[in-house]
Amino acid sequence: MAQDILSPEARQAAEKLGRADIVIGIPSYNNGRTIGHVVRAAQAGLNKYFPEFHGVIINSDGGSKDDTRKQVLEAQLDPSQLLLVNTPLNPVHRLSFPYHGIPGKGSAFRMIFQMARELGARACAVVDSDLRSITPEWFDLLLRPVLHRGYDFVAPYYHRHKYDGTITNSIIYPLTRALYGHRIRQPIGGDFGMSLPVVETYLKRTDWETDVARYGIDIWMTTIAVASGFRVCQSFLGAKLHDAKDPGADLSAMLQQVVGSVFSLMIEFKHVWMHVQGSRDVELFGFRYDVGLEPIDVNLDRMIQAFLRGESDLREIWSMALTDRTLRDLAALARAARTAPAAQFRIPDELWVRALLEFASAYAELPSARSHLVRSLTPLYLGRVASFVNETRDMNASEVENRIEQLSLEFERLKPFLVERWGGPRVDEYSPQSAPASGRIQEVSS
Amino acid sequence: MIETFRQVFEQSVARLSAQATQFLPPLFVAVVVFGLAWIVALLLRWLLLHAFKGERFDAFLRKTGISGMLDHSGRLRASPLLAHGIYYGILLVGLLNAISVFETEITREIVGGVVHLLPKLFAAAAIILAGVWLAQYLGRAALLWASNEGFSWARRFCAFVRVVVVFVSIVVAADVLNFARTVFFSAFLVFSIGAVFAACLVLALNHRDVYRWFAGARQNGGEAEGERSLWHHL
Repeated sequence: MAQDILSPEARQAAEKLGRADIVIGIPSYNNGRTIGHVVRAAQAGLNKYFPEFHGVIINSDGGSKDDTRKQVLEAQLDPSQLLLVNTPLNPVHRLSFPYHGIPGKGSAFRMIFQMARELGARACAVVDSDLRSITPEWFDLLLRPVLHRGYDFVAPYYHRHKYDGTITNSIIYPLTRALYGHRIRQPIGGDFGMSLPVVETYLKRTDWETDVARYGIDIWMTTIAVASGFRVCQSFLGAKLHDAKDPGADLSAMLQQVVGSVFSLMIEFKHVWMHVQGSRDVELFGFRYDVGLEPIDVNLDRMIQAFLRGESDLREIWSMALTDRTLRDLAALARAARTAPAAQFRIPDELWVRALLEFASAYAELPSARSHLVRSLTPLYLGRVASFVNETRDMNASEVENRIEQLSLEFERLKPFLVERWGGPRVDEYSPQSAPASGRIQEVSS
Repeated sequence: MIETFRQVFEQSVARLSAQATQFLPPLFVAVVVFGLAWIVALLLRWLLLHAFKGERFDAFLRKTGISGMLDHSGRLRASPLLAHGIYYGILLVGLLNAISVFETEITREIVGGVVHLLPKLFAAAAIILAGVWLAQYLGRAALLWASNEGFSWARRFCAFVRVVVVFVSIVVAADVLNFARTVFFSAFLVFSIGAVFAACLVLALNHRDVYRWFAGARQNGGEAEGERSLWHHL
């Protein structure tokens, strides 16, 4: 039985409303500046695309010190500006409640999901509260596949700057794809649509008060949907532009929550991913178009320095996870980087993938060192980002996408070695010559 | 003269033979007891080394990091650990039994002392082991924090944390054993006060540099956040 975390205020509101067809959830913390726009977009989306449905917008707030909740409740939309073809049959309700428990996005989602279940919603969408590029069409794209196409989980697909989403591009997308065989390009995008059975599956789980309560929630949702066999698709939402303001978290903690969640789910869903070979495309809805993207500056020297510092300081922790060969290769890279110009710094795909898979195995083998292992990934990750920046400096978006595809194929190619370390069949010693030239495997064996 | 010498010699021989008749049987029994204990210990060790796999215990040692802590190669296994533990345990029991055969004041004191001290020794060993494990864990946490924050003294900080935690565990173990209590406690106080005093001195003498470093770090942190928002990583 799932734990009930609804406040009396929220429960009362749910009882008063009775039922709703669609629930749109917006988690927030001090987002007074941007949340009004998101609520108006949601309201317009419901009026324009789902006029026949009962829709509710629920803001789950983490105790904002500014006027976030007031902005939600007072967000006004002029229907005459929308040029609606169909007049909405039902008013869109806006609710705002504080959530309880560990502060974080995951805890906010938990309250939204409980409300969706209480209201018996057929579909639920969640979006970030600091989005500047959100439009009413996003809700159509996130909800329609669930309501009219029988999909259970809709992941977002955005155009992003080549230096944006580096955890997604270098770790989460290729690793999730290699593990579960689904090419979901933005598995931690943050804006999702889902059906009631998926919501109920989430609520039945008992790991809400782990890293899932914070940044781990996005990959947790995607992985459970994929590994549990729900029908999954993607929707093209255009560009994703965030408010510049960040919640109070540091990169190391964020990486620990996201990567730690992936590794934890690997342990739980070992019986699923051990049998998956290759990967396949996931259906993509929406009209794709090019968008102008905000440039992102990166400080290459600082990232390389972080890698070099980590290589010399954290060898003791890395040696718990990495094999002698990987440690030697990283040490050789660091030695070369200390004398060569920053623009020449590279971490080869094979080395990066090997290191990451070795970390995943050590995470499963050494429960007492999990937090240390994942936190020690930070300098290695920054080194990989620096390498990626160097490699893609003169590339356009499509070339960068090809580069990420190459990395993903490397993950798929080295997966048998991961399977072997997790108790699967033995694989012969890896040799670079045995790599397939372009092994785009389409089949998923189970 | 010869008669006196003969008397002295006879008395010595008589005394020695009396002592021998008194102590030789217990000595023989003691040797037999210890020998038996040694044979049992050898047999049990062989049996444990060959029959006991201890996979669960191995997994426990590995997962808790104790295996890596006691043996840096990480090859520490439950079966030899247990076999050697039992081997030496039986030898100790055999030795105590052998000593107790003599039934003298001194042997009684030795046996009583060891029996009385043994639980405390185990407790002290457990405290030291836990202390070393905690020192390793906290040291690594400190190392990660300092390294990820970009401090150049990360490894020294890690070593400092480890030394402090191990030292505290030694103080506690010495307290349990009632061994050099005052010495260790005084050393602990001197060490703690010295550390605080040294930190104050560094701050007082270099307050301007420290302030500049702190302000610089904050400014750098602000720049880093501004140039590449955390969201861009996700």
